[in-house]
Amino acid sequence: MTPLSEVPVGALRLPAGFSATVFAHGIPGARMMTEGPNGTIFVGTRAIGRVYAVTRNADGTTRTRIIAQRLPQPNGLVMVGNSLFVFAINRVLRYDNIEANLDNVPAPVELTEAFGLPTEAEHGGNHGWKFATLGPDGRIYTNVGANCNICEIDRDRFALLVSFKPDGSDRRIEARGIRNSVGMALHPVTHELWATNNGRDWAGNDWPNDTLHRVRRSGEDHGFPFCSSRSADPQYNAGRNCSEFVQPAALLGPHVASLGMRFYTGTMFPEQYRNQIFIARRGSWNRERLTGYDVVVARTDAQGNVTGIEDFMTGLRDDANQRFLDRPVDIHVMRDGSLLVSGEQMGAIYRITYRQ
Amino acid sequence: MSLRLILAAAVLAAAPAGAVVAQDAARGASLAAHNCANCHGADGRSQTEGIPSLAGQQPGYMTVQLILFREGIRDVPAMLAFAADLPDTDIEDLSAYFASLPPGPPDERRPRDTALYAAGEALAGPHLCGVCHLPDFVGRAQIPRLAGQREEFLVHAMTGYRDGSRVGVDTQMNDAVRGLSDGDIAALAHYLSQRD
Repeated sequence: MTPLSEVPVGALRLPAGFSATVFAHGIPGARMMTEGPNGTIFVGTRAIGRVYAVTRNADGTTRTRIIAQRLPQPNGLVMVGNSLFVFAINRVLRYDNIEANLDNVPAPVELTEAFGLPTEAEHGGNHGWKFATLGPDGRIYTNVGANCNICEIDRDRFALLVSFKPDGSDRRIEARGIRNSVGMALHPVTHELWATNNGRDWAGNDWPNDTLHRVRRSGEDHGFPFCSSRSADPQYNAGRNCSEFVQPAALLGPHVASLGMRFYTGTMFPEQYRNQIFIARRGSWNRERLTGYDVVVARTDAQGNVTGIEDFMTGLRDDANQRFLDRPVDIHVMRDGSLLVSGEQMGAIYRITYRQ
Repeated sequence: MSLRLILAAAVLAAAPAGAVVAQDAARGASLAAHNCANCHGADGRSQTEGIPSLAGQQPGYMTVQLILFREGIRDVPAMLAFAADLPDTDIEDLSAYFASLPPGPPDERRPRDTALYAAGEALAGPHLCGVCHLPDFVGRAQIPRLAGQREEFLVHAMTGYRDGSRVGVDTQMNDAVRGLSDGDIAALAHYLSQRD
């Protein structure tokens, strides 16, 4: 476990008035976060197979428990009432009344068959991990990534955003042709679904961009594999005109790995951040020069159009030496309006606060 | 390892600065002498076919791999017996110990095949190996050192990633080697094994 002294909180750069502290550390592989009604922060992982529960002690320190382990990439977590749902590729587990049972976690309810998501084998090792969030309509929203870098996919089964009733019934395709989303959120006012998407690899350093998608109507086609980041794929376009697809709401940078995204619904930050989208960019690998390794804000106007992407949390990418200090994966808005950012590389969670 | 021990370790790791116990490479050396040296070499340079060298390996990488062995997520039967009950502190001490050893090739490393080396070098650039493993292939954090590793082990690892029998901490390695021929893998392995 990375000792606190090695967590690079001191390297973080934020706009004036903001500051960062280490909320919790010693959480190897920390990725997606969700919060229980009593304030427990649940943290998912990928290869290490664990789900953690982070609680706050009376003195402000935190305590981390492992509440599940040996799961296949338990990346997607969502709370529905008092129940924690864990999405581990196609396995779906529901831990009822979890916050009352952190020290003695009972066997979960198995919902794998009810959800019927593609198995690890069907994904062929590609993009099987899930993100999950709860809509104001009570439905669970998640992703089914493409089962390849790029190929002729079954477009009814892969590269989708989907929603379900919490019992796994009533699957609805929210968006087609989205290669691999590992972050989505419903707009707090319009209730439209927004999602980040990871663009394909091995098509050059600067193409395509990762993208931000706005889903105005369920079931519309966003173009993968034919088109990516508003232009034709050099190999898989199949003669399709990219204008026939829903265009991304914003381009987020080539190969940046745009993952967790959340609307800022708190009141601690200045008014200009209200309902704006915070996006964690885990950082590139399929590119000669590093890019990403930061948190950006997508600014939207009253009509919901993205007017710009601006830096929020930087300092984790060392351009001169082409090294990175941590890899931000998810964002969580706490009830007090502070922002948590998970750092997968260092197994840490940073907390960002604002004071005038 | 019991869940209770894992919890204890996790709680310890989550304690404030100062309370975290530093890794103890000397303790790791004593653990390694009894459990690791037979296969991985007395000085961490493996002289045994199919067994990787660990000397100079990145401690973050070793820590994660041992956890994956322990928890049955990375399926290497030969490692299971050693890792099954390993407490977190042992894992960290072992990792610190091997990281402290000077890396180097096996004694019987074969001479450089100039053409194969050049072919591997030509593949490493476009496959972006140095972006994560660093241009000198010494690795960083959870990304392993490759320079000077045993050649046939590198072939085994890359083939496993390509064919889906091994998945890394994330799936980037599966993406990075997708589409490589056996000949490409042989060239890359030779090139990396010859780096010091």
